Amino acid sequence: MTALKLLQVLVLRSLRQERLLSLLSVLGVALGIALFVGVKLSSDRALGSFESDIRGPNPSVTHEITSASGIDFDEAVYRHVRMLEEKSLPVIRAGGLVKGRGETIEILGLDIIRTLRYVQATEGTPGDLEAVLRQPAGVIVPASLAKRLSLGKNDTITVSLYDRDYDLTVVSVTDAPSVPSGTAVMDIGNFQEHFGRQGVLTRIDLPTDPATANLIENSLPDSLVIRQKEEAVRNQEALIASFRQNLHFISLMAILVGMFLLYNTVFISIVKRRTEIGILRSLGAGKGTVLSLFALQGLLLGLAGSLLGIALGQLSATLSVAAVQKTVTSMYSRVFIGTPFITLHDALKALLLGLSVSCAASLIPAREASRLSPNESSREGSFEMRYRRHLIAVSCLGSLLILAGAAISYVEYLKTPFTFPYLAHSGILLIILGFTLLSPAYLLAVMKAVRRPVIHLFGAIGRISLGEMQGSLYRFSIALMSVAVSCALIVALLTLIYSFRHSLQRWINSTILADVYIKPASCVSNYCFQPLSEEVASLVEKAPEVAGVDRYRVLNLDISGTKVITAFGDAALTRRLAGKAFVEARKEERLREVEEGKAVAVSLYLAARLGLSRGDTVELPTPSGRQAFTVSDTFVSYSTTSGFLYLDRRWLREYWGLDDATQLTVYLKEGQDPAAFIGRLRTGELRGYSLQIMNNRELRQMILGIFDRSFAITYAIEIIATVVSLIGVVSILIALTLEKRREMSILRYLGGSWRQIEQKVLLSAGLAGAAGTLLGLVMGLMMSLIFVRVVNRVSFGWEVDFQIPGLPLGLTLLAVFLTTVVVAVIPAKAVRRFDPTRYISRE
Amino acid sequence: MILLDDVRKSYGNAAVLRGIDLEVSGGEFLSIMGSSGSGKSTLLNLVGGMDRPDSGAIRVDGQDLTALSDEPLTLYRRRKVGFIFQFFNLLPNITVFENVEMPLLLNGSNDTARVMECLSHVGLRDKIRSYPHELSGGQQQRVAVARALVHDPPLILADEPTGSLDTTSGDAIMSLIASLCRERGRTVLLVTHDISIARRADRVLKIRDGRILP
Repeated sequence: MTALKLLQVLVLRSLRQERLLSLLSVLGVALGIALFVGVKLSSDRALGSFESDIRGPNPSVTHEITSASGIDFDEAVYRHVRMLEEKSLPVIRAGGLVKGRGETIEILGLDIIRTLRYVQATEGTPGDLEAVLRQPAGVIVPASLAKRLSLGKNDTITVSLYDRDYDLTVVSVTDAPSVPSGTAVMDIGNFQEHFGRQGVLTRIDLPTDPATANLIENSLPDSLVIRQKEEAVRNQEALIASFRQNLHFISLMAILVGMFLLYNTVFISIVKRRTEIGILRSLGAGKGTVLSLFALQGLLLGLAGSLLGIALGQLSATLSVAAVQKTVTSMYSRVFIGTPFITLHDALKALLLGLSVSCAASLIPAREASRLSPNESSREGSFEMRYRRHLIAVSCLGSLLILAGAAISYVEYLKTPFTFPYLAHSGILLIILGFTLLSPAYLLAVMKAVRRPVIHLFGAIGRISLGEMQGSLYRFSIALMSVAVSCALIVALLTLIYSFRHSLQRWINSTILADVYIKPASCVSNYCFQPLSEEVASLVEKAPEVAGVDRYRVLNLDISGTKVITAFGDAALTRRLAGKAFVEARKEERLREVEEGKAVAVSLYLAARLGLSRGDTVELPTPSGRQAFTVSDTFVSYSTTSGFLYLDRRWLREYWGLDDATQLTVYLKEGQDPAAFIGRLRTGELRGYSLQIMNNRELRQMILGIFDRSFAITYAIEIIATVVSLIGVVSILIALTLEKRREMSILRYLGGSWRQIEQKVLLSAGLAGAAGTLLGLVMGLMMSLIFVRVVNRVSFGWEVDFQIPGLPLGLTLLAVFLTTVVVAVIPAKAVRRFDPTRYISRE
Repeated sequence: MILLDDVRKSYGNAAVLRGIDLEVSGGEFLSIMGSSGSGKSTLLNLVGGMDRPDSGAIRVDGQDLTALSDEPLTLYRRRKVGFIFQFFNLLPNITVFENVEMPLLLNGSNDTARVMECLSHVGLRDKIRSYPHELSGGQQQRVAVARALVHDPPLILADEPTGSLDTTSGDAIMSLIASLCRERGRTVLLVTHDISIARRADRVLKIRDGRILP
């Protein structure tokens, strides 16, 4: 009871009295947590989507057989496998696009008779089986998909699949939970016949034991692999792990800014209530009581912020899901996320994170408060003086942390000891912490440097402002760090995006050289594996405007458990028709080596992962067995994160027995108009086909559009972090203004005008803002160098040139600085409401 | 120099000054005695232009303060008034020198010699680089006195200047105030509840319940 009374009188009442500050702190923490929750929910659901796609509707399945050589395989294998494991299930799948809706859909062909109980609706009838079997284009759709597309039983849905449009009939709407939300299920026989895929399968699912799996593995051809479902799920998760973890890291930065805010609020509260602390200690309160009071204050603010953040996180997840879904689908593979709803588990994790951050933020100042002696607490300026004594030691420690952060990031750059950039991220955090410890010394140095010009320009007000900042060094350095961390985040992300865009543009200039590109309309990812029909390829090749067509074929090879995009192109044709436009120095040579030898060009990331360099040999799985190729070159590729191989088409014919294409790269004759050509194809020869046909410019724009979309979440994080830090600046300025009411009253008595007092507040804010912006620029450039050169390379395998966006950066930082000054107008104007006579007579 | 004509002031429902009539000659040292809540600090604030009466007139050197807006009142205070407070009210984050210099700086001037002269008068020339929290109470009040005099105001308003000091320090401050008043013919209005302090003035008035006692 006593404790509750103390809590009510000393903590809750204080929170109510400092309502505005408390509210701002809660908001700051809430925004950081909301961002974290939103990112986590969206990316967790993406993983869940992958997992349900891999597992399929039958939950008893433990293993799967897939082709390592990247193409659907002969269904004759199934007969053989069934003899060893009679519960094996054949599966065929294809990705499509719902016409007119832009929504992607997976069509799954299953042995309906044996899997009906897993896909049937709860209220399903025997008639459902008959309907699925009898209707050649009959599909079972999950209720969520039916709701999204407003479908009911017997409705028709038009889907672009391969290079044509197909009408499918909904024979049943199912509520079976194991049918993924973006999937429609067909009978496998109907699938093969309706889509012309007779005699092939995509995979075989098996519910089996390890011994039988081993037996089967030994009997399979080299081109097929058997894997546990768990391993397949893990491999797929690993694909987007870097994407998820980098998003998490950036959202953690937003939480860090919120943490500054909370630290700031508790610190200000302690300084304002230092007399109260002295009185409490004089009355017999122990150090533990004082520590608990302020720690509890911070914890309560953190709790309120976390709860609000969880609610806002649900909103942010709903808003960010489209961006995450599009990015993952473009960069990795088709995924459907739906509307993510926060679970109790997610909420508890977020709450724990918020409370931990709040605890850390408030314990440091609370501990300092507990160490104040009664007589020390009554003397104004004494609290700050304690910190001054340790200034040199703290500054040295800060410098060491900055060096350590830079050092471990460099180690990661050189050695890449982990698959995820743990060292680089730790290095960034150390650098931020180091600069935080260095900030008071930095602020002192800045004030010393600007003292003369400030006093010359602003006279008495300048002197008072500088004196005040010096006297409240640690408080102003917290305001400075709020601005600095926000600026650093902006600088780092802007530089990363600019560098990446610059490198991407260069890559586009060296890679996208043809006039027209044709692929199936259902292909929404960067690479699709469903081939175009022979008629489409022939019709385009025969067009009179055409100088040459590269039948570009992409496969998804399984190399040591990792899916690797493997492209087969006509190297000779490319050299002949696009050679003049080559920007990259080695491209001509690379293509020639690929054309002439049994050679493969390997992306830098894959080369690093597999430890390959020029002249090494790499074995590729083909339907004809494993084939060895010589690595002729390594090159940069931004189109994928899992590695990329390029070979000449003749190997596709020789080892895969294929001559088709997943994309047609078309070079027109001199003087031909691509737009006119495309128009003629669309209305003429290719009228009945469902295709994406783009000219060079359109493809370049699409690639840049994917890039911009993938950074949409990053932009959102940037904005939120900036808002949180500006909240921090406002809160500290308000707090400092409130604390300085007596000084302002004295100035009024001495003849200072309200305008002069407003100028003082704005000048202090301007100085802290300018110093913070400058520090943020330095921090941000260090962070961006680590993001660009280390994190990107380790996480995604992308080598990016470091480029500083001078003008955009300068303008953005100027905007942040000006905003800092503008928000200072709030407390500056608020001072006019003071009655100076109230504050003069009290001690 | 100072003329108050039926000045009244209330805060909410509480009447603090109930019709004050007062005349103070130039160069006079006047003490106003009263207990806590009698209205003496309010009276000082009105004469110093920090507050406005509800009714009545206040004239200082012929200038009607009640007719002035905030800017002219600020200028009046900056040029013509020096305040000395019970709790010193020095700016804590600037040095002794800078505290004394502040009224000059606010006036737009920069007279180092004048500042040193005032600090010499109060015996604190050797403390120019110290900060207020490094000084004793008596020393801080002497700095406050120097600050009140540095811009040579004709009027000094002192609100319980010895209230926070021990007897010895208080005596020293009163001697200082009295001598500086007489040297330059400044008008001093001092409020106190202490009869021994009040008697140091040329004239003592008593105030009770917002009225000057006859």
